[in-house]
Amino acid sequence: MSQIKKYIIFLILVSGLGLLLNYFLNSYIQAIFISFIINAIMALSLNFITGLADQFSLGHAGLMAIGAYTAAVLNKEFLDNNWALIPVGVLAGGMVAAFAGYLISLPSFRLKGDYLAIVTLGMAEIVRVVLLNWNHVGGPRGYNAIMKFPEFMYSYAFAVLLLFITFMTMYRLKFSWFGRNLWAINEDDIAAEVMGLNVAKTKRRAFVISSFFAGLGGGFYAHHLGYISPGSFGFIISVQILIVAVLGGLGSLSGSIVAALILTFLPEILRSVQMGSVDLRMIIYPILLILMMILRPQGLFGRTELNLKSLKERFSK
Amino acid sequence: MVYGILTMINFAHSEIYMMGAFAAFYLARFAGLDTPSPLNFTLGILAGALLAAIIGFFVEMLAYRPLRSSPKMNVLITAIGVSILFQFGGQIIFGADPKSFPTLIEDRVLFTLADISIRLVDMLIYFVSFVSLGILSFIIFKTQTGRAMRAVSTRPDMTPLMGINNNKIISTTFIIGSALAGVAAVLVSIKYPKIDPMMGVKIGTSSFVAAVFGGIGSLHGAVIGGFLLGLGEYYLIGYGASTYKDALSFLILIGVLLYKPTGLFGTTRKEKI
Repeated sequence: MSQIKKYIIFLILVSGLGLLLNYFLNSYIQAIFISFIINAIMALSLNFITGLADQFSLGHAGLMAIGAYTAAVLNKEFLDNNWALIPVGVLAGGMVAAFAGYLISLPSFRLKGDYLAIVTLGMAEIVRVVLLNWNHVGGPRGYNAIMKFPEFMYSYAFAVLLLFITFMTMYRLKFSWFGRNLWAINEDDIAAEVMGLNVAKTKRRAFVISSFFAGLGGGFYAHHLGYISPGSFGFIISVQILIVAVLGGLGSLSGSIVAALILTFLPEILRSVQMGSVDLRMIIYPILLILMMILRPQGLFGRTELNLKSLKERFSK
Repeated sequence: MVYGILTMINFAHSEIYMMGAFAAFYLARFAGLDTPSPLNFTLGILAGALLAAIIGFFVEMLAYRPLRSSPKMNVLITAIGVSILFQFGGQIIFGADPKSFPTLIEDRVLFTLADISIRLVDMLIYFVSFVSLGILSFIIFKTQTGRAMRAVSTRPDMTPLMGINNNKIISTTFIIGSALAGVAAVLVSIKYPKIDPMMGVKIGTSSFVAAVFGGIGSLHGAVIGGFLLGLGEYYLIGYGASTYKDALSFLILIGVLLYKPTGLFGTTRKEKI
């Protein structure tokens, strides 16, 4: 009973926020809000593989690109620009990204640590170069006039739904037997193997799940902006996703969402102090990253999840 | 080289390279040493190496030393952070537009051999590379410091017991590696006189691939790896697939890591439980 009550309260809160955004705030803030959700989805997706299983991936921009291009091309060329079918395209983007993730994981997960990071980075770079040379999807000019949601409310509802699905799936997985397997790999993969766990298979599965959600995020990104180009999925995007995940705490799913919130709105607030042509957040991000690593390597939340009960306890003390 | 000793990927290495090029550039500009002469050439290389070494030292001290005992992944994340900081900090300080590097040495055709003209600059680049390789081999294999470096690389937990100051040795490694990056930067800038703050990005991945390809920790392997990779890229351009050039180094890397992780001349390291 209380479970249902919780969901109802959540639904009311979410719709309230949606109405607030729709009627009282301008489209600039609405757009930032949507990009916050995309960042959160991407960070969750990365956190799943890097935070839970400790398999460092620097290739999430590549997976995001695959999702984005799939969704965009599918919607534009096969579903004749019907905005109501955007979810179908996004889902397909996730599927294709998951398949790509499976292909990538076959060779890459024989490696670990920084080699894995470099190989996934390489894979993302290959995806980018292929898109750059693929004339049908615009090559370096990018792919434009992608269908968008006509109203902010639809966009908002879909975004929140996506984030909710992503978060809940990962949250449930984190505390399932599968999540515990990932923890075992995180702690000590040799010991996990000795205990009879098929480490390679578990890592691959985790990566496929992670890729699926990265693809979803990418697909939604394409429909949110209406324009994508290979340049928007460079190495720097992978790093940005990584920064969000690290700031929130590797292994903490709610941490990723909070960090995405901070890191999406902070640069917008700082926009007024931009220096010349250089994006100031590209100075702040790395400093933040280095300081984080030195002073608080576990991130804001560490591995723990945010929950109301423990917050209450902390504040009542 | 730094990777072989410290077993960490220094993403910031390519940015140290970039700073080396800019050091030589500003020295040449403001000290009025931008006319072609052998002296200015030498000074330019030394300036690049010196500044790169200083930056390497500080980067190591400020960013990596506090993380000596933390997991490898944290170090890697920090390295990425340092790298981006330099790229965009460089854009603020130097400006994002490419600068033209002064001609420090006059390029002329030395002699022609069956339609192939051998140019002075190319020969100098070969010469300086081989001299650096010689010096580096000497340091690593013949001196006390070099022996300490190799010891730190094999068993960092044992070396302090042998009276080796790990921090000092790692610092030294960084300084030497960075100085080499500075030398390379000046040489490349003389050959292709256009420098900008993002110039390190491309060369960073290539040099890493070259190091892995040749075998990590093997100096000669790195040179041969670099040579083969460069040749491969130019052949690819020659066959009209120039836009795929950036993907080639990664394809090679993935292939090497999967089928011969030790590279061409590397040694294997067993994993102990």
